[in-house]
Amino acid sequence: MLLRLDKTDTRPLHEQVAAAIRRAVAEGECRPGDRLPSARDLSATLDINVNTVLRGLRELRDEGLLEFRRGRGISVAEGAPARSGLQIKVRELIAEASRLGYSRTDLIDMIRGTTT
Amino acid sequence: MTTGGHAAAPNGGGGKGGHGRAARWVRAGSVAAVAALLAALPWAAHGRLPDRLATHWSGGDTPDGSMPLWAAALFPAGFWLLIAVAVSVRWRCSWPAVRPWRALALAPTATVLVGAQASVVRANLDRTDWHAAREPALDIVLILASAAVAGVVAWLSSTRSTPTPATPAPELRLPEGQRLVWFSRTANPWLQLVATLTGLIAAGALVALAVGLARPSGLWPVCAVCAVASLAGAAFSSVQAKVSEAGLEVSFGPLGWPTRRWSPAAIESARAEHRLPSQVGGWGYRLSGLGTTVMLRAGDCLVIRPRGRHADFAVSVDDAERGAALLNALRRQG
Repeated sequence: MLLRLDKTDTRPLHEQVAAAIRRAVAEGECRPGDRLPSARDLSATLDINVNTVLRGLRELRDEGLLEFRRGRGISVAEGAPARSGLQIKVRELIAEASRLGYSRTDLIDMIRGTTT
Repeated sequence: MTTGGHAAAPNGGGGKGGHGRAARWVRAGSVAAVAALLAALPWAAHGRLPDRLATHWSGGDTPDGSMPLWAAALFPAGFWLLIAVAVSVRWRCSWPAVRPWRALALAPTATVLVGAQASVVRANLDRTDWHAAREPALDIVLILASAAVAGVVAWLSSTRSTPTPATPAPELRLPEGQRLVWFSRTANPWLQLVATLTGLIAAGALVALAVGLARPSGLWPVCAVCAVASLAGAAFSSVQAKVSEAGLEVSFGPLGWPTRRWSPAAIESARAEHRLPSQVGGWGYRLSGLGTTVMLRAGDCLVIRPRGRHADFAVSVDDAERGAALLNALRRQG
């Protein structure tokens, strides 16, 4: 599994970790059921505090991309590739909307109002 | 004794693959030369030897075994040929990668046999009766030392010949301002099963010992062997490889210990290669003519050549091609 982190990224580190893994899942770097490296390993290799890494991993669990299993580590959830692709698109949409001056509520209204 | 070193050289050098037929003739020639030397040594001195030669000492000063001259000449030669043929038969059906072991087996054997024969002849020289021959104590030390030297020479000359494939090393483009890390892991469920089973046996034996169910003398070895097998099996049943700016890190077992690390500067080149357990001599942590291989399953292996070493280090992990590519890119970047 190849992870990419942007050195010039100004977002909080836990978001960067989550974004890197989300992208890896979307690009098929790891398939559903695959085990992820442990938080300790990720922390050592990325040179990021282990609690920050764990925060990023928990975000991904809440998005339904990862599963935490006691004693079996962290693995990629069923249906995660499609879901992570959608998640990335949603994030891009929110970023684009905020660049154009629309709030999230405006965006939700727009989605509700879309009939097709 | 000096003949021992001479006998080792052609065997050690014979392991170079590629020159098929010529190398085979050199090997056959050196095996025959050692056999001839073993047979000729007593014959050459037969004018100064007794009818029967003292051939065995059991620690004491006086010999306790003897052979007629013809047997003392032919027995070691026959023994040598038998070993050489036995090892050759194994070469035939094994892969080229296992080859250095034969040089490693034959060179010290030849040295020991030739050295022992020379020392037997010397002990019997100018004696009228074999009972008068004295044990050559110092010779044994010399024989063992030269056997060790022959083994080292064979090892060095056979591992030096590990070829580096001509295929270009894969390389990944490192985008400016990005940090790339690569992870991969492999587990062998069979080794995990073996580790669990031997662990259970060891635990069972320990319990039986604790409550006094069985004789300790019989059970202790079982317990110890199974415990060691279980720990070794567990440690080498899974492997994780990581490539980052710090280089390559390979850690074993569920606990990630032991670990081997190489910085990008310590690596000369990295590549991916298809390897089979039969090429490296089985599963687990393997030393062979291809260098060190951590073989958990047949197929893709990440292979590195550490700087200043003659042999490779390989680990069987998925997606090895990109791991090698990233490692090469990091190495170039410095």
